Amino acid sequence: METYLYIALFAPLVGSLFAGLFGARPKTIIAGLVPTGLLFASLVSSTILLTHVLAGNTVHVELMTWMETGDLYIPFGFVVDQVSVTMMMVVTIVSTVVHVYSIGYMDHDKGFNRFFSYLSAFVFSMMVLVMSDNFAGLFIGWEGVGLCSWLLIGFWYHKESATWAANEAFIMNRIADLGMLIGIFLIYWNTGSLQYDQVFAAVAGLEISTVVWIGIFLFIGAMGKSAQFPLHTWLADAMEGPTPVSALIHAATMVTAGVYLVVRANPIYDIIPEVGTVIASLGAFVAMFAASMALVNRDMKRIIAYSTLSQLGYMFVAAGLGAYWVALFHLMAHAFFKALLFLGAGNVMHAMSDELDPFKMGGLSKKMKGTFIMMTVASVALAGIYPLAGFFSKDMILEVAFVEHHYILYTVLLLTAGLTAFYSFRLIALIFHGEERYKLFGFDPHEAYKYMLWFMAPLAVLAVIAGMMFKGTYYDMVTQLLPAGEYHVHSAFTYWVMTIGTQIFVGLAIVYAYRKYENAKIDKKVESGFFYQLLFNQYYIPQFYEEFFVKPYRDLSMIFWKHIDLKVVDATVDMIGNTFYKTGKETHVMQNGNLSTMLRWMVAGLVFLLVSAIVFAKANDIFAYMVTIVPGLGA
Amino acid sequence: MEIGLSHYLVLSTILFAIGLIGVMRRKNLLLLFFATEILLNSVNVAFAAISHYHGDLTGQMFAFFVIAIAASEVAVGLGLLIVWYKRTGKIDLDMMTTMRG
Amino acid sequence: MLDNILSILIFFPALAAMFGFVVAKDSIRAYGVTVAAIEFALSLFLWYAYDPAVSGMQFMESLPLIPAFGISYLLGVDGISLFIIVLAAFFTLIGIASLPDMKRMKDMILTLLFLQMTMIGVFAALDAIVFYVFWELSLVPMLYIIGAWGGPLRIYASVKFFLYTFTGSLVMLVGMLFMAYFYHQATGTWSFSILEWYRLILPENIQLWLFVAFFLGFAIKVPMFPFHTWLPYAHGQAPTIGSVILAAILLKMGTYAFVRFSLPLFPDASVFFMMPIAVLAIIMIIYTAMVAYAQEDIKQVVAYSSVSHMGVIILGTFALNVEGISGSVFLMIAHGVVSGALFLLVGVIYERRHTKMMSEFGGLASVMPHYATIFGVMVMASVGLPLTINFVGEFLSLLGFYQQSHMMTLLAGIAIIVGAIYMLAAFKKVFFGEVTNEKNRNLPDVNKRELVALIPLVIIAIWLGVYPKPVLGPINNSVESIVQLMHEKAVTEEAKARIPDLTSTIVINEAKEETK
Repeated sequence: METYLYIALFAPLVGSLFAGLFGARPKTIIAGLVPTGLLFASLVSSTILLTHVLAGNTVHVELMTWMETGDLYIPFGFVVDQVSVTMMMVVTIVSTVVHVYSIGYMDHDKGFNRFFSYLSAFVFSMMVLVMSDNFAGLFIGWEGVGLCSWLLIGFWYHKESATWAANEAFIMNRIADLGMLIGIFLIYWNTGSLQYDQVFAAVAGLEISTVVWIGIFLFIGAMGKSAQFPLHTWLADAMEGPTPVSALIHAATMVTAGVYLVVRANPIYDIIPEVGTVIASLGAFVAMFAASMALVNRDMKRIIAYSTLSQLGYMFVAAGLGAYWVALFHLMAHAFFKALLFLGAGNVMHAMSDELDPFKMGGLSKKMKGTFIMMTVASVALAGIYPLAGFFSKDMILEVAFVEHHYILYTVLLLTAGLTAFYSFRLIALIFHGEERYKLFGFDPHEAYKYMLWFMAPLAVLAVIAGMMFKGTYYDMVTQLLPAGEYHVHSAFTYWVMTIGTQIFVGLAIVYAYRKYENAKIDKKVESGFFYQLLFNQYYIPQFYEEFFVKPYRDLSMIFWKHIDLKVVDATVDMIGNTFYKTGKETHVMQNGNLSTMLRWMVAGLVFLLVSAIVFAKANDIFAYMVTIVPGLGA
Repeated sequence: MEIGLSHYLVLSTILFAIGLIGVMRRKNLLLLFFATEILLNSVNVAFAAISHYHGDLTGQMFAFFVIAIAASEVAVGLGLLIVWYKRTGKIDLDMMTTMRG
Repeated sequence: MLDNILSILIFFPALAAMFGFVVAKDSIRAYGVTVAAIEFALSLFLWYAYDPAVSGMQFMESLPLIPAFGISYLLGVDGISLFIIVLAAFFTLIGIASLPDMKRMKDMILTLLFLQMTMIGVFAALDAIVFYVFWELSLVPMLYIIGAWGGPLRIYASVKFFLYTFTGSLVMLVGMLFMAYFYHQATGTWSFSILEWYRLILPENIQLWLFVAFFLGFAIKVPMFPFHTWLPYAHGQAPTIGSVILAAILLKMGTYAFVRFSLPLFPDASVFFMMPIAVLAIIMIIYTAMVAYAQEDIKQVVAYSSVSHMGVIILGTFALNVEGISGSVFLMIAHGVVSGALFLLVGVIYERRHTKMMSEFGGLASVMPHYATIFGVMVMASVGLPLTINFVGEFLSLLGFYQQSHMMTLLAGIAIIVGAIYMLAAFKKVFFGEVTNEKNRNLPDVNKRELVALIPLVIIAIWLGVYPKPVLGPINNSVESIVQLMHEKAVTEEAKARIPDLTSTIVINEAKEETK
């Protein structure tokens, strides 16, 4: 089994290095095929490991020592257990699909080879993240995915907006990573280890306040990766990257790392339910907050990005309320349908020559039948309509909130479910239905390559069946590691009212979205309204950050350099130097060569020496005298 | 009135002060030499007096040394002075500024 | 040969440099590379022969110089100095190998060889006077390199560099003399041997004064805020090779001296000054990182980033526990590799365009892809990405200091944020975007001579990031003995509490082993 573990882990790395060899050369198809093939090997290995885990075993290996000093011992250790194997499956499935898709999508791009190198490196980092058996290893993956995300967002590095977004994403993540790092330090100094099993065993014996801090700091780390408020702005900007990247990194895998962390650290969060409540509340807030921004946005990819943000909020609600397996389940289902949605959007972008405004599209269903069907499936799944995946995972979170008596959270999430359905189908209606507005703008859309569609199909199938088919097996598997909990509403009547009510509510939202946007009528009155503008400008948060963090930082840096470093610190040093120099310059008049002046100085020096000799001698006498009389004064 | 050590020292100090003022005030190089001689001899007086007072001959020996050095100094100095006078025709101190720093 | 290997390491380059005066101009590069390669091979042999299980000094040599005052030519290495010596030999080698053609090539190579002697001498010396002599001697070749091959402000920069560091070292010398005096008072014999000094337990107030005297010398060398302003000038004016050696090795003298002198000699004073120094270190980290962000010259960005990273090293050193000190010693190596590489990289474009202004560049990623890749790797190493060499050091340094103060570490941890800000901003300005300046459109990518220097650095930066054990192991052993010494020597209660007692944990570890 260990061999499979190593294949699953290192095949993407080999692929990345292989493609990297061709990095600076023009497109070579083999640089795309080999990583894809290796990733498929990784998928197969993961599947074998999954069957192994399903049989009730886990695999745990220690590759080698990483750091060892003092009492600290950090190995490269990897574990395949119920949680990590779930993540491995999600990561490998989605990334295999994305790799194949990218061969088509990046077909005409100059950086084809480079792209695959980065993409496979990302998969490797993600595998390290989910498979590590200690927090330091997790952190390696954590930063590794950050690096790859930076590389991939800024993939088209000649675009100012892309590189800006890349740096923004990296730096925002770094802010959160500091929190994570502090969390790791806290864990080490309190438990003496960073291995999951030892930490979780020791954590119960710690003071509750320490555990609270650990929980908070780890969650700060999670907030950055999962783009939770207030560190959320990078995710929407990250849409500057190529669309397959958005599908893989910014929808399916990397952004869910935060959720994974909370799920993985469940023994810690179990001790501190109050922190869990905060997490859940923040999650619910983000769910609503992000969905509201998705309502009005006019950028196809950003709408989906906000949707991702909103769904991450859902996951955090579940994780925060202690329903870790539900969070992980939604993570999985979401990865499938959201990746599908993004890949569909990628097809649309290709067809429309990278146009992103859905108001310029319309009626594309005729030209792009396959994409239309898949995106609709994904949207239905996202909206949570029975029997697609979203129904089982997302409604489960609603039930969790209800059963745990967090009715406010429940209401927020329910409303958000309506909003989700609305914006998803607003997008579908705008892109695929109504008049063919694209003709006005002179676009000539065409369907994507056949094989791209074929390889999207598995995701579509999973988006449909993942909820129905896997829930039971999945539940049995992960609850061996995660706290079990069937979240059933006690009265059957309430349950049915809730379920059917939610379905009807969501259905109505869909119908409303269709009615309103089928013809893409733009209501000028609404658009000039305050709320529309507020939502359209993302609550003015990016502007706020620009104004109150970025600019002051830049200005302060300038002040530090020009005014403090050069004018104060350095000037002080120069002043001291200049004092000596000037003293020399001024006093060299003494050496004017005139013998009588020099003699006068000599005499002055002599007098000075004599006087000081006398004064010091006297002072010494006086001091000695004082010493004799001082003790007498006190008595 | 017995003439004691302090009288000699006062004399020495007065001589030294005269010499010092001479060193500071005189512009003529020749007079400067005179002043220097007075300085040295004031010290000689002090040496001799203290030596006698302590009954230790070292001080008086030192005075001899000083006299010898003063003599040689005057010899060298006067030689230089004459050379300088031959070159410039003046022995005014303010004109001698070639050693400007 | 093993008995005298340190002397050979120190004096071989100097002797070779003497002979170098008669070597013909055309073959001087080959001669320099050969000498440096032999020296590097010797240093590798030293590493090979070094026994990592021993925590004390190895390859000791002793020769009385002035027996009346206990001054002797005393050499030895332990895990702390070993790797800096190897690094010094390595950087001299790649520095000479990648030297671009310049005027007075011969003088430059011979100066570098002399510089190598002083560098290795500093790290191998175990006698305070010998240490001091090499410490001061190292200024001379550097002064010459900056003053003779530097930019327009070279005279100002070199004089500032010399006088500033020299002033600091004079205070340090006074501290050394007092130290020897106190040793004489306590034992009745004179000695300048550091190992003898280690055994001396000083009262706290004397420790404080001596600590301050030594601190001034070391802090200027590091350079610590607010004594850092000579560094940007020196880097700004120095030729590439000067900056590389300065950043990679010479700055490490200060931090190394903290570990070699300040900590074991004055444990109580170290504890007493821990927090003020941590505050200085944090100011260094954040303030200089912000200043780096404001720079317009790419070389100044790297220069200020050096200061910022040195802050983390100082912080780790004053964590006073094994994790922190090991981390800081490791970070010295790491910072040497990474900042040395960054200066080399800056030299590459400077040589092509004769400007270091970032506004002159832009879009270089498409013109010079290999160059951009190597630069990118080094930027990521500098930012402290895991699996690069810097991360190990920074992680351990911060981890170590976390035991002493939570708040301070949180503030110091801002390093990882601000570090990313200035580095990525600079990288973006130079490499991303469209090529706007016509002069950049046909810049040649890195050539073989440059790759000779850069590829090994990239390999080291990643190899030691993934597998730091060969270096971290010996460091750890030596640091453990220092920490234990400090704990035993500490006079005050607070110092006893702050500096961990390793014997107790060793007992626990043995118990653990037994239960296994």
